Amino acid sequence: MAEAKYISQDKLGKWLDELSQQMQVLAPVQEGEAVVFRPYQTGTEIRLEGQPTLPPKEAVFPASEELFAYTYRKNPEDPAQTDVEIGPRAQPQKTLVFGARPCGSRGFVIFDPVYTQGYYMDPYYRVRRESTIFASVACVSHENSCFCHSVGSGPGDTAGSDILLTPVDNGYVAEAVTDKGGEMLGSSLLEAAGDKAGKARELRDKALKDMGEPRDFTPAREKLLAIFDDLDFWEDVSAKCISCGACTYLCPTCYCFNITDESAGMQGSRIRSWDNCMSFQFTLEASGHNPRPTKAHRLRNRVGHKFSYYPELHQGMIACCGCGRCIKHCPVSVDIREIVIRAMEHQTETGEEAGK
Amino acid sequence: MMDIQQYLTENNPYLPELGTIVETIQETHNIMTFRVVLDGDSRMQDFSFEPGQVGQLSVFGTGEATFVINSPPTRKEYLQFSVMRAGEVTTKLHSLTKGDRIGVRAPLGNYFPYESMKGKDILIVGGGIGMAPLRTLLLFMLDNRDDYGRIQLLYGARSPQDMAFSYELPDWLERKDLETVLTIDNEAEGWEHRVGLIPNVLLEMAPTPQNAIAVTCGPPIMIKFTLQALKKLGFEDNQIITTLEKRMKCGIGLCGRCNIGTSYVCVDGPVFSYEQLRALPNEL
Amino acid sequence: MTVITELKEQIKTALPDLDMVIGWERGFDPLHATPLFMRKAQDVERLELGPLAVHNTATYLTGFKGKKVGLVVKGCDSRAVIQLLQEGLIDRENVVIFGFPCQGVVDMVKVQKHLGNTGLVREVQIQDSSLKVKVNGEERDLALKDVLADKCARCRYPNAMLYDHFAGQPIEPHASEDKYQDVEELESLSLEERFQHWEREMHRCIRCYACRNACPMCVCRDHCVAQSRQPQWLTQEDSVREKWMFQVIHAMHLAGRCVECGECQRACPMDIPIMALKRKLNREARELFNYEAGVDPNETAPLLSFKVEEENINERGW
Repeated sequence: MAEAKYISQDKLGKWLDELSQQMQVLAPVQEGEAVVFRPYQTGTEIRLEGQPTLPPKEAVFPASEELFAYTYRKNPEDPAQTDVEIGPRAQPQKTLVFGARPCGSRGFVIFDPVYTQGYYMDPYYRVRRESTIFASVACVSHENSCFCHSVGSGPGDTAGSDILLTPVDNGYVAEAVTDKGGEMLGSSLLEAAGDKAGKARELRDKALKDMGEPRDFTPAREKLLAIFDDLDFWEDVSAKCISCGACTYLCPTCYCFNITDESAGMQGSRIRSWDNCMSFQFTLEASGHNPRPTKAHRLRNRVGHKFSYYPELHQGMIACCGCGRCIKHCPVSVDIREIVIRAMEHQTETGEEAGK
Repeated sequence: MMDIQQYLTENNPYLPELGTIVETIQETHNIMTFRVVLDGDSRMQDFSFEPGQVGQLSVFGTGEATFVINSPPTRKEYLQFSVMRAGEVTTKLHSLTKGDRIGVRAPLGNYFPYESMKGKDILIVGGGIGMAPLRTLLLFMLDNRDDYGRIQLLYGARSPQDMAFSYELPDWLERKDLETVLTIDNEAEGWEHRVGLIPNVLLEMAPTPQNAIAVTCGPPIMIKFTLQALKKLGFEDNQIITTLEKRMKCGIGLCGRCNIGTSYVCVDGPVFSYEQLRALPNEL
Repeated sequence: MTVITELKEQIKTALPDLDMVIGWERGFDPLHATPLFMRKAQDVERLELGPLAVHNTATYLTGFKGKKVGLVVKGCDSRAVIQLLQEGLIDRENVVIFGFPCQGVVDMVKVQKHLGNTGLVREVQIQDSSLKVKVNGEERDLALKDVLADKCARCRYPNAMLYDHFAGQPIEPHASEDKYQDVEELESLSLEERFQHWEREMHRCIRCYACRNACPMCVCRDHCVAQSRQPQWLTQEDSVREKWMFQVIHAMHLAGRCVECGECQRACPMDIPIMALKRKLNREARELFNYEAGVDPNETAPLLSFKVEEENINERGW
């Protein structure tokens, strides 16, 4: 990291004013008791304490997004003949996500191999990803649902961030992670951090230490496959799940989507919108057959995808950043950590030979 | 930064090509075939695909659904898709007629391993609409007839009226370089061919597994018993090839619904050997 | 014998004849309980009651068709069971109800308002009228009355209203009348202000449908219009219009059926005050039909029945 800078709390607003002259700034704002990312304007009261309810997923992967618009036109000579025109019209703007937690910014590190290095490049994702930068706030204390240190991340993780801010002495130590981030630290509102940088490091180290011993989830990769056919196990761990989509929509790494045509007369849009593997319709085929007919099948896929299939395909990286939103905000407190641990410890009679 | 509009127009796997339906054929009471020509002067000649690859057909305002391109790459005057009416998109497709505009995203997915099948005897077993992907392969092999050994076709449907591609069957039956067996589930007036369930007729045909590849496609229950019959006849897992169907949206390995464990049917499939299938988690 | 000991005894005795009994146990941290599915006698030891046992156990009932399920219920949970029975959505012989006197449950949103961040609560001690919590090394004492759910403050049915077993002694209701003050406050706003209120609140909805799936009376489940394309009532666009439309459909579908357990709002991860919509329609049902959902298993919900002439709708006088 380049030379660390420091900005005091009272100058933070001015810095954001300055930055929002140059680009769209999304910052955490309280609505009800929820904290969500909203465009910053001078005077916006931002909330940097605690984990925002929503990660900044929408900055790069909007809840719904037009893939292209279509228009039908009748041939004036022959009204029975109709032609159609289609065209994309995305206009992403340069955006700074300010004040996400490291776990929120890390989400896109999980997206990237799929959306930009997979079978096909996703052009909508790519243009948004390239026009978005992240200034994240390191955590100095963890919540009960946090387990970032068990999935290769941590309270001061810089993966996915361009700047890392650490709250020190009624202000923030700001450290550039990338060149893009470095450019933003040129503002005269920031001063040299001096020995505050060391203090920031200590705080981050302490935060990590306070989390206790990390749990090693790597054996889950094999084990989840080994107990794939043990439906009793999956029914047991999914019993309390109510099959809503809160876990997936709040998840920084969940990237599944739906595509639907939404029409209004002769024109409309093909959109993609967040979808949710906990939903019955997600895999329901037109014939009525559903390969994942119950919540047990669906939860098995969600856990399997994050802790087994994705790591298998992407150099062992777990598709979970340990933010714990799925635990904290689950209406019935389903705990994905507990499921993975139970899977790893599960003694199965059928074992490796099960039901092939 | 690049010009975004240009980039999205030129590098966009979600953006269908436009084409026109040049012919429709009512195959059965619920299967309709569409012959589609893509826009652009030399586009049909430039369009390249492999037998078994699929395409997503778009009815703008309704949506997309996946179908195999069932015309072979050796015959490119049009792309042929056969659509069984089942859901929202297929129902809408059935209302389209000649001259209607349509969107096509193709080719997508993998294809039949026709290279490694060269020099071998080929057994094709198709049931109902499952004949569509097999038609591509069959016509492709007939157009490259010298590359393959004996070719046997067993094609079954519930009744004569449920048999798609009826206009081609006389030719297939007549050809000397193809052994065609047709079967229906129950006796029907005027039916001159076999009567009986596909797996049973297959056992009677008793094709030999030596230096042979069996390719099968059809409804899940037929596949299940056909696999059992093939095993009984001595076919090994790696001698059996089939295609899978899943609900798909993006078709390009991103949207997340068609996976079986680490495999995405839209990009790693739809064609799988039985050996590959057995290595996947049991979630069909 | 304490209520919980008595209840555990009752469950253990009944369990051999049941597929499971649904109650609560400690969740991922001391501030959260989580539904417990007791299948074996040793599972019963994990049962916990009290102000953190917020979930409506009746929500799971329709998912276990054909199974024999025991249910530990608070007063409001039992009302959901009654309403489900009324509508013929469950069979009485397949449900065994374990009631107890409920002292009220905690509203986590209120706890958060008091503490700032509930995620940092490391210890919780529940005493008669207080919640003693340790947050980041600091001891905090929350009066239960300050953090109880609103539904509990106006609760007239703290004891299970239908049960096969009851542990402890029934208690007096917390309130005698529901004046629908919250609804009236909203109604006192101008139409424009009310619309702005909902626009503001619904904006942050993420369409996760936790509200729907946590609702014991939402029985369409996998066939909800929220996702259906045939018929298509809603688009998948991220717009207030679509989100709001769903809430209106949800509320209309619950008119006179909602037992006001508050699970929809409690389940909402975005803290959207959607309960007011259901309360509004329930008040209408009460005024028009003199009916309250989930009180009498032998009643019929007004919108599930038909009368040529309604007593309180004077059509002939129009």
